[in-house]
Amino acid sequence: MSRILLSARSRDRGELLTTRMVTYDSGGNQPEKLPYSFVLRYLVSTDHKTIGLQYLWLALLSVFVGMAMSLVMRIHLAWPWMHITFLSTLDSSPERYATLPVLHGSLMVFLVLTAAPQLGFGNYFLPLQIGAREMAFPTLNLFSFWATVLSLFGITSAFLIAPQAGITLWIVSVSVFCGATLSSALNFAVTTIDLRAKGMTLPRLPLTVWAWFLNAILGMLIFSVLLAACLCLLSDRWFSTHFFSAVDFLASQPANVAPDVLPALWQRLFWFFAQAEVYVAMLPCFGIVSHLIATFSRKPVWRERLVVLALCAVGLVGFCVWGQHMFSSGLNPFSPLVFSVLAASLGLPATILLASWFATLWTARFQLNTSLLFALGFVSLFLSGGISGLFLARHDFASTSVTEDFVTGHFHLVMGVAATFAILAALFFWFPKLFGRRLNEPLGKLHFWVTFAGVYGVFMPMHWVGLVAHLAKHPGANLSTIAAWIGPTRSFITAGIVITVCAQGVFLFNFLWSLFRGDRVEEYNPWRATTLEWSVASPPPWDDFGAGEPVVYRGAYEFGVPGVAQDFIPQHVAPDRVVRAN
Amino acid sequence: MPSATATPDVELIIEDSRGGGGGGRPPDGGDDGDDGDYSKGPRREPPSSRRFSTGIAIGMVSILMFFMALASAFLLLHHSSRVWVAVHLPAILWANTVVLIGSSFVLERARLRLSNGDVPGFRKMWLVTTFLGLLFVAGQLVAWRQLVAEGVYIASNQASSFFYIFTGAHGVHLLGGVVALLFVLLRNFERSQISMSLAAEITSYYWHFMDGLWIFLFALLYLGK
Repeated sequence: MSRILLSARSRDRGELLTTRMVTYDSGGNQPEKLPYSFVLRYLVSTDHKTIGLQYLWLALLSVFVGMAMSLVMRIHLAWPWMHITFLSTLDSSPERYATLPVLHGSLMVFLVLTAAPQLGFGNYFLPLQIGAREMAFPTLNLFSFWATVLSLFGITSAFLIAPQAGITLWIVSVSVFCGATLSSALNFAVTTIDLRAKGMTLPRLPLTVWAWFLNAILGMLIFSVLLAACLCLLSDRWFSTHFFSAVDFLASQPANVAPDVLPALWQRLFWFFAQAEVYVAMLPCFGIVSHLIATFSRKPVWRERLVVLALCAVGLVGFCVWGQHMFSSGLNPFSPLVFSVLAASLGLPATILLASWFATLWTARFQLNTSLLFALGFVSLFLSGGISGLFLARHDFASTSVTEDFVTGHFHLVMGVAATFAILAALFFWFPKLFGRRLNEPLGKLHFWVTFAGVYGVFMPMHWVGLVAHLAKHPGANLSTIAAWIGPTRSFITAGIVITVCAQGVFLFNFLWSLFRGDRVEEYNPWRATTLEWSVASPPPWDDFGAGEPVVYRGAYEFGVPGVAQDFIPQHVAPDRVVRAN
Repeated sequence: MPSATATPDVELIIEDSRGGGGGGRPPDGGDDGDDGDYSKGPRREPPSSRRFSTGIAIGMVSILMFFMALASAFLLLHHSSRVWVAVHLPAILWANTVVLIGSSFVLERARLRLSNGDVPGFRKMWLVTTFLGLLFVAGQLVAWRQLVAEGVYIASNQASSFFYIFTGAHGVHLLGGVVALLFVLLRNFERSQISMSLAAEITSYYWHFMDGLWIFLFALLYLGK
């Protein structure tokens, strides 16, 4: 009985909405009445588009704070005597310096690399691309967002208070972030499984949706482990338990307990999360880049099924390589070999993805706009960073041949900067849909080239420093020559950071200026793309597709189909409505 | 699946309860062209209620992962730690286990009554399930008190830490199940997105999962002696 009532009510609402749709069509893109007042809309809206945009704003704020931290660190390394106004008023203990990389890393990894491509763009575009009106559990989505805000607040405050209390606050904030990510991963997975429009079968899903979906599953599995590890840590701090036994605890034990039997429990739990977290940051970027390259090349994705399988393989193998970081911590002697093979076997899906990107670009007459430039920048950085990753996958190399700088250079190139390039490519691509305006192209290209040169100028020399600094550990090494080489290289890296950070000012100006003064985009589909989000107004009306429901008739990458007038067929156009070439 | 304008509502509802999301063949005609005007197409149906079952299934995988991380930590420390002193498990845990398994049986009886249309009988049995759930939590607290009386605290050694963390985390998750039981009991389903039988079904999945999880954790603690 209740179901029949429900259906009748939804039909009534449908008719109301239909009337409103007519109003849109006659009178521009603005809905006549929004469901909430302006303030309420941003505080308690459960609309997936509002929440997605809020995540993007959060990521923008965090990326600039995180970047400032990296600048301070490099300045301190190159010119330690320099006085920095605000920071020098805090104490100058080694702990204070150690909080800098912690804040930089946690902001960048959690609030930028995890939040922007998945939670920001994903929340906004996943329901639109699969033809759903909303996420599966909108209220849960609102909860995830505010929990993320809370954890950002906690992580940042942890930097400002006394180090010991700061660590506790940091762990609590990370636990809150785990809860937020777990609930939004649940939302993403269920939305993709159950809320797809009619005709949106799995092979027809855009690669972006595949990537968000697989990423949600991976996140679901690993953030629970981090939450468990955080719980044990908090128990150690609050209840004086000894899950992660410190050396001083063992020292207080009988003499037959040697410190070398530390069971490395924290390392296991942490790396189980952290190694897979790299792929949590990268998976949506793979999806976005494949999507953009196909759209701008006006060609179908090369071997689309294989690419989907490669994305699955990245998720699966990424989940199994946690031992990769523990070659020197007393694992079973055979396990480094297993983890090495697994880590190196990630090269296979990576190669498939690269082959697909190059094959899609091959002989394509692409439009080299800023969005595609950033996508190509991603490919370049992923390739360069990935090659040094192959060296690090050798279990004997990381511990014997390089220092930390090599590893830092590797993961910044492949995870941090490459992912940021994919986020920027997505932003330039979807900006017209998000705000109904375009980002400025010449400023965007200037920003791209300076950033591209800048990040190579920073992270390539960091690899070299890692290689050369290790020479100093050999007996009879000429220390003065090594120091004479490393000193200027460090200064060069710092200068590179300063230039790169300044280039982000160009981006910030472009972003804010285009938000209010950018060229207006009147048409629904300025890039002539195929997916469903381009079939509604820019920005989309609050009820997305209105009273009706989109129906999907074909795969997401039907470009250059022979015998068709245009070089693309959108997913929602029925076969009998496709305009044939004469 | 014909377009909604030509279909009686009842048929749409049947479609919906089988799960309308994705997969099916697109209808013929009723298309909206490239202009993004979907008002001419099929009417939007309410989101598939299958999402609740999918959600609880995925949520359970995540909770399982959380406890597996703790269990692997337990096994690792149990095998490698040289300061491991096994906890003497209080006998009341056996009684608690019986209570929890019993609550699962009563819950299934309640659902059987609901499917026979006996709503008052369902409510009565459901209330008994809730009571047994709370009795289990009370029993766990008694076990804690007994250990404290023996001088075994959370910080005493690694084994006792694990005992308190396992029982505590499981208890918190189980209380979530009690909240779900009360939700089904008190909610007015006339105005809800979800039917009573579906809510009861989803709660039952979670409750049996908590049941099985406790048996696993208890076995782990028992064999870990």
